[in-house]
Amino acid sequence: MNSRRVWAILRFVLTTLFLYFVWVLFTSDLGLFSLLFGLAASVMTAALTYHIFLPEHEANLRFFTPHFWALIRFLFLMVFSLYQSSFQVVKAVISGNTNPRIVHFRTRLRSDLARTVLANAITFTPGTMTLDLNDDHLTVHWLLCSTTHTKAAGEAIKTKLEHALGRTWL
Amino acid sequence: MIIREILALIAFLVGTFFGIFGMVGLFRFRDPYSRLHAGSLCGTTAVFSYLVALLLLAPSLASGARVFIILVFFLISAPTGSSIVGKFIWESEDATRQRSAMKREDKSL
Repeated sequence: MNSRRVWAILRFVLTTLFLYFVWVLFTSDLGLFSLLFGLAASVMTAALTYHIFLPEHEANLRFFTPHFWALIRFLFLMVFSLYQSSFQVVKAVISGNTNPRIVHFRTRLRSDLARTVLANAITFTPGTMTLDLNDDHLTVHWLLCSTTHTKAAGEAIKTKLEHALGRTWL
Repeated sequence: MIIREILALIAFLVGTFFGIFGMVGLFRFRDPYSRLHAGSLCGTTAVFSYLVALLLLAPSLASGARVFIILVFFLISAPTGSSIVGKFIWESEDATRQRSAMKREDKSL
């Protein structure tokens, strides 16, 4: 058995486990029929979709299995910054002081999942919204812009999030 | 029990506050990105607050867990949706005109 095949089986098993977990969570029914039916459905769905759910080039377990405490910490950070950023937008709505600009920068996160989560989290940071994510290149609309310099803008927007995410995924 | 209801009421009020100001921003800003910004961000916070209130009022652990799942999926789907809309504005012809107008005026309002 070559490593490609082992990796495919591992991805299949992980997809099945994830689907089964969500099934049990949603049905919240521990009867025998429900458990067996869910398992069969998870295996079938995973067999069809595991190569989409976990693409082959994501060749490291740490690319999509989060570090638990770092994930919890990141979620709290997100909720906090969600309220903070909404408050700033409300302030901008009332006062009318905005300086909208579009800035570009790169991220150093390596896995697709972490980059996607970073792009979503940037939408929650004060006054920024992700327009496009292309490999490691982010296009961000910044409502309360203070600089258009790539490096400075990147520092201001993503440093904190990237640190928290770098601990969660690779 | 009563403390839970008061906390839920506070969360509902916070959600309504952000929802109303998001709507005001939607009509007050001038360029499409800022409008999308106000609408999507304040809308997300409003729905998030409502879901937190529902979580506080959940009668049992099972329904509470479902509300929590909805909350997490909403946190994933809402910014994805707004960023897809933003991407289409970014790529459309209309936005090019808007962008040059933005550069000229320097202020959106």
